[in-house]
Amino acid sequence: MKQCLLCEQQLASNPTWQSLIAIEKTTLICESCSKTFERVDIKEEGDIIDHVTSIYTYNESMREYLHQYKFLQDVALAGIFANELRSELKRKDAIIVPIPMHPAKKIERTFAHIDELLKAAKIPFEDLLEKTNTEVMGEKTKEERLAMRPLFTIKPESIIRKTTYILVDDIFTTGTTLRHAASALKEAGAERVKAVTLIRAER
Amino acid sequence: MAKPFNPAIRDFLNGRIWLRLHTPFLREEIDAHIDAGHIQTIKGIETTPAFMKQKRHVCNRCENEDPSRFTTFHCAKCEGPCSYCRQCIKMGRVSSCTELIIWNGEPPTYPTKHTLAWQGTLTPHQQKASDELTNSQEQQKSHLIYAVCGSGKTEILFPPIHKLITEGKRVCVAAPRVDVILELEPRLKAAFPETKVESLYGGAQPTMEASQLILATTHQLYRFRHAFDAVYVDEADAFPYKADETLQRAVQKAVKPGAPVHYVTATPSDQLLTTIKRTGFVSIINRRYHGYPLPEPSYEPLWNYEKQIRKGKLPEKLLKWTKERLARKEPFLIFFHHIGLMEEAEPLFQLLDPRIRSVHASHPDRKEHVQALRNKELPGLLTTTILERGITIQNVQVAVVGAEQQIFDKGALIQIGGRVGRSVDYPTGDFTLFHNGVTYAMDEAKAEIQKLNKGGVHA
Repeated sequence: MKQCLLCEQQLASNPTWQSLIAIEKTTLICESCSKTFERVDIKEEGDIIDHVTSIYTYNESMREYLHQYKFLQDVALAGIFANELRSELKRKDAIIVPIPMHPAKKIERTFAHIDELLKAAKIPFEDLLEKTNTEVMGEKTKEERLAMRPLFTIKPESIIRKTTYILVDDIFTTGTTLRHAASALKEAGAERVKAVTLIRAER
Repeated sequence: MAKPFNPAIRDFLNGRIWLRLHTPFLREEIDAHIDAGHIQTIKGIETTPAFMKQKRHVCNRCENEDPSRFTTFHCAKCEGPCSYCRQCIKMGRVSSCTELIIWNGEPPTYPTKHTLAWQGTLTPHQQKASDELTNSQEQQKSHLIYAVCGSGKTEILFPPIHKLITEGKRVCVAAPRVDVILELEPRLKAAFPETKVESLYGGAQPTMEASQLILATTHQLYRFRHAFDAVYVDEADAFPYKADETLQRAVQKAVKPGAPVHYVTATPSDQLLTTIKRTGFVSIINRRYHGYPLPEPSYEPLWNYEKQIRKGKLPEKLLKWTKERLARKEPFLIFFHHIGLMEEAEPLFQLLDPRIRSVHASHPDRKEHVQALRNKELPGLLTTTILERGITIQNVQVAVVGAEQQIFDKGALIQIGGRVGRSVDYPTGDFTLFHNGVTYAMDEAKAEIQKLNKGGVHA
C-alpha cells in the first residue's frame, strides 16, 4: 500500500482504466494534503526577466514542505509538484536552466533542490550557471540584496545562444536572485529570459 | 581507558544514539573522544544485498526496515547512491553516509539518595499491584498493570520507581502521546523532588544533565539505546504506538539487554494480554480508587445524523442532551469521528451557547481550551478522539456522536467512558453513545465495563 508522503495516510487506490494503460498521473500525496497548497498563478511581464510565472502562494503548508524538503533533506518530496511544474514547462521552445547552488552548499545539503524538482518532473534541463558565493538570500535586507555583486557567472565552456531561456527557482521573494541570473544570461547573449517559480512569497 | 574525557559529553551521550554531526558539542571535541575510544561510531544505514539485485536497508537509529520508508538518491556528499530513512527523518536525516555515535567509555554513576515526597496512601488494590510490579522487576520480567480508568495508575508506579532509582538505576516512563507526558511531568517531579527528571517530546530541549528519570514520548526512544533498567509504557494501547512496529522496537531497544519493559493501560489489546501472560505477570484492578463502578454507556439511535448536521440542523436527541447539560451547568465533551463534521456542527452548538468550542490534534488552542473547560470558563467542548485518554475534568459528562464509526473501537469507547465520574465528589455521570446502528465494538465495550464492575476479570 502506498502512503501519502506528507501525512502518511494510506493513499486510496481505485483501479481505473487510465492506470491500467499507464497514462494516469501518479500521485504522491493525498487529496487533503494537496488541498492545503494554494494556487496563485501569477504571470507578470518585466524588463530584466521578460516574464515570470509563479504557481503557489507561500502559506503554512508550503513553509512546512520547504522545511522538510530542503532543511530535513527529504529528497523524496521532489516529485510532489511534478505534474504542476511539467504543465508549466513542457513543450516550451526554450532551454530550461535551474538556479544552481554553491558547490560547497550542495555537498552540505547532499542534493541540489531545483535540479531534483526538474528531474522528478522528467523535464530536461541544462546547468549553465554557477553560483559565485555562499550568501543566503533569506538573511539579507532589501537594500543589501540590491547592492550585491553579480551572484552568477556562466559555466566555463557553456555557449549561450540567441534564443529563449527559462530559469527555474523554488521561491520568488523580491526577485533579486532571478534578476541576477537573467542578467548573466543576457550579457552572454540570450535573447529572452523567462522564469518559473514554484512559490511566490509576499513581502 | 586512561585517557581523559569530558563528563558533560558522557552525561549527554550515555544511553543515547545520536547524529555525529549534530551534537550540542564542538565537532573537534567529539572527534577527539572518538579517537580516544570513548565514543563509538556506527553506520547510519545498514544495507545488505537481497533477492534479485534488490537491497535491504535497516536504519540503525529507529530500526525501520520497511522498504517503502527508504528513499535512494544520488548524493552529492558521498558521490553515489545513498539511501535514507524516512521513518525518523524529523529527528535529522540518517542516510548511508551519515554516522551515528554512542558512548563507549565509563558509564556515569547515578545518585542513590532520593525521596518519595508523595503524601497519599495506596488503596489495598493499588498496593498489591505495586508490590507485584516490584516483584516482576526483581525477576527481570515484563509486567502489565491492567487497571480501569480512574483507578490511580500513576501512583502505583511511584514505589517501584523509587526503589530502582535508590539503587542508582536509570528509569524511563514512556507514552505514545505528548499530552500524557505533559500531564505526568508535574506529578513525577513533585513525587521525586531530589531526582533529575527530564521530559522529552518533539520540540523539547534536552537538559544536558545526567537525567536518571526520563519521561518521553515513544518516538523519542528512537534516540536511545540500552539506556534503562526499566521502561514503563503508559497507555500502551494508544495510537500511534499500538499500530507502529518501529515504536514498539524503539522501546525494546531503549532498555538494557535483559531489562524488562512494563505496561500500564485500562484497555490492553488481546495480543498484549496474551503475550504478557506468557512471558511475565499481570495485575488487574477493576475498582476505581473511590470504589464506585464505571459508568455504563447508554445507547441512543441518531439516524442520519451526518446528513442532518450537514444540512445545518442538530438532531433532536443530541440537542436535548446538550441543553440538559447546559441547564445543569455540567461540563461536557462530545466526541466526533471526523474533524470536518465536527467543524460543521460547531456553529450549530454555538447557537445554544456561543462559548462552546471544538478541538483536534493540530488545533492551535487545544491546550488552552481544555484548561478553560477545567476552569469552567467554557461549558463544553467538541473533540476528536484526541481527548479520549489522559485527561481528568471534574463532573464531566460525555457523549459520542457516531459511536458506530470504526475509529471508536472497544478500547476507545472504554477510555472515553473512563473520563466520567473520576472524582470522589462526582463519582457518576452520563455516558451516551449516539449511533446510526449498534456495532460489535459498542457491545464489547459495554460488556467489558459490566464485567469489570462485577469484578469478573481475572488474570
